[in-house]
Amino acid sequence: MNDCPNPDSPAAAAGQGPARRGFRLPAQLVRLVLLTVGIVVSYLAARYVLTPVSFGQYGWYRGNALAEIAAREPVYAGKAACDECHSEVLEKIAKGEHQTVSCESCHGVSRAHAEDPDVKPVKLTGSHCIRCHEANPSRPAWFHQIKVREHYGERCTDCHKPHQPNEVP
Amino acid sequence: MKRPLTRRHWLTTLGSALAGVMSLALARKAKAAVQKVLASAPAPKGYDPAKHRWLMQIDVDRCIGCGLCVEACKTENHVPPEPTYFRTWVERYIVKKPKPGSDTPRGEVVVDSPNGGMHFSSALVPREEIMRSFFVPKLCNLCEHSPCSQVCPVGATFETPDGVVLVDPKYCIGCGFCVQACPYGCRFLNPITHTAEKCTLCYHRITRGLRPACVEVCPGEARIFGDLKNPVANDPIQRFIATKRVMALKPYLGTGPRVLYAGLDEEVR
Ligand code: HEC
Ligand code: HEC
Ligand code: HEC
Ligand code: HEC
Repeated sequence: MNDCPNPDSPAAAAGQGPARRGFRLPAQLVRLVLLTVGIVVSYLAARYVLTPVSFGQYGWYRGNALAEIAAREPVYAGKAACDECHSEVLEKIAKGEHQTVSCESCHGVSRAHAEDPDVKPVKLTGSHCIRCHEANPSRPAWFHQIKVREHYGERCTDCHKPHQPNEVP
Repeated sequence: MKRPLTRRHWLTTLGSALAGVMSLALARKAKAAVQKVLASAPAPKGYDPAKHRWLMQIDVDRCIGCGLCVEACKTENHVPPEPTYFRTWVERYIVKKPKPGSDTPRGEVVVDSPNGGMHFSSALVPREEIMRSFFVPKLCNLCEHSPCSQVCPVGATFETPDGVVLVDPKYCIGCGFCVQACPYGCRFLNPITHTAEKCTLCYHRITRGLRPACVEVCPGEARIFGDLKNPVANDPIQRFIATKRVMALKPYLGTGPRVLYAGLDEEVR
């Protein structure tokens, strides 16, 4: 800065270039740098504004999505929900052949009823037995199947207690 | 070289500082607005994804093909009713007897899954022609290196720390790459929301201590579900792996499926 350029230098003689300031970036380079800085800054600003806080909490995704997906209300109540009021039915079933069958496999979605017993669960007609027990060559051999037309009768619950199927009501 | 401190100089400095603060406030406001759009509902209390590792296993020999799981999944997850959309489904494999005189050990293999296997009819092939037949329930294979989350361009599908592969419906752009990437055909584009959908292992149920809907209604214990990090007494998952000879679907693809099948056969893919 302090040392004055030689007035006899070719640059000074030509009347161009920095007369007193020494080296200076060419204007087009300055513009390029400014443009780059501008793009980077606006990218960072957009990223700051648009990226959800929870992004990256567990990985390259929105961590809050887990909570959102988990927030939905279940539809099926689950066997444990029936235990509160029908524990005697659960005990009966646990002793019989239907021990692996859940309440809602036969009774259908019963959450509304489990929350408010005044809402009656769907009345079962008996056709649901056939869905599982009708003979089918694809069914495994361990599973007891019947040919409904050749079986003793159409109304299953006349001869089988649904909760203890090998007992006669 | 020093510039004199003029009033003009002070005013411009002050002005630009003010503008800076204001634009920062504006950015904060914009961010808050964006966050509001992506706001989340409260998760079930006390659930920490790092403390669980969920897993489902399939015992093919226990499946009686009642289709209750298919129906329950549709009901539980509000899956569109058309018979082209399933998060879980059941396939029926029928291996026919070899034709008399042919030197093959087994005949043609017929596979079907009418309406996802919700109600199988009993007669597809006459009983006399069947050599062997069985049902295979299918669902998301919970891959260790899931191709679906690798191809997602926006980070909308991912493997959670608790071992589930989920789709973020607010981030999904519905490009369908993941649908094509899944070698097990477990995904579809929801025709109403136009976002990808798949089995979530009933994430809204398991985080509340309930079992997935398909496991809940399965009468034969063909679907075995559990938490590897919190084994219970006589844990079904541990018992399954200890007592059965298990296999994964398409292991040669390197996707590392975590869902293991017992009683699989050569024809099953
Ligand atoms: C809050 C207590 C409560 C819970 C929980 C509950 N129930 Fe009930 N349930 C009742 C009462 C009360 C009745 C009526 C009994 C009566 O009329 O004799 C009933 C009756 C029924 C009936 C017979 C309905 C009829 O038409 O006679 C069925 C079936 C039934 N419940 C199934 C279930 C199932 C399945 C569950 C689990 C999802 C469940 N309940 C959970 C209280 C409950
Ligand atoms: C195999 C199918 C099946 C299963 C599994 C089943 N039920 Fe039932 N249940 C029936 C049928 C059939 C009836 C009689 C018809 C009706 O009332 O709708 C019945 C009747 C009932 C009744 C009213 C009469 C009674 O016996 O008290 C209650 C309460 C009931 N079930 C509760 C339950 C609960 C709780 C479970 C789960 C532990 C369960 N059921 C599992 C088929 C089943
Ligand atoms: C969701 C499927 C399902 C439904 C619906 C169902 N069952 Fe069963 N049933 C089973 C299973 C699983 C077993 C236990 C395995 C076995 O013994 O074959 C069983 C066992 C039985 C058995 C005992 C067979 C034996 O000798 O051990 C009888 C009888 C029976 N069921 C009758 C019925 C009747 C009657 C109904 C209708 C009220 C019915 N089942 C509904 C799944 C079902
Ligand atoms: C008139 C009485 C009667 C009616 C109605 C009846 N059953 Fe039976 N069922 C029996 C008797 C008796 C047996 C035991 C003897 C046998 O296995 O043949 C039996 C056995 C069974 C078995 C076990 C079969 C086996 O291989 O051990 C199943 C499963 C069964 N019934 C389901 C049903 C279903 C489902 C219905 C309704 C469509 C039904 N039953 C209606 C009397 C009846």
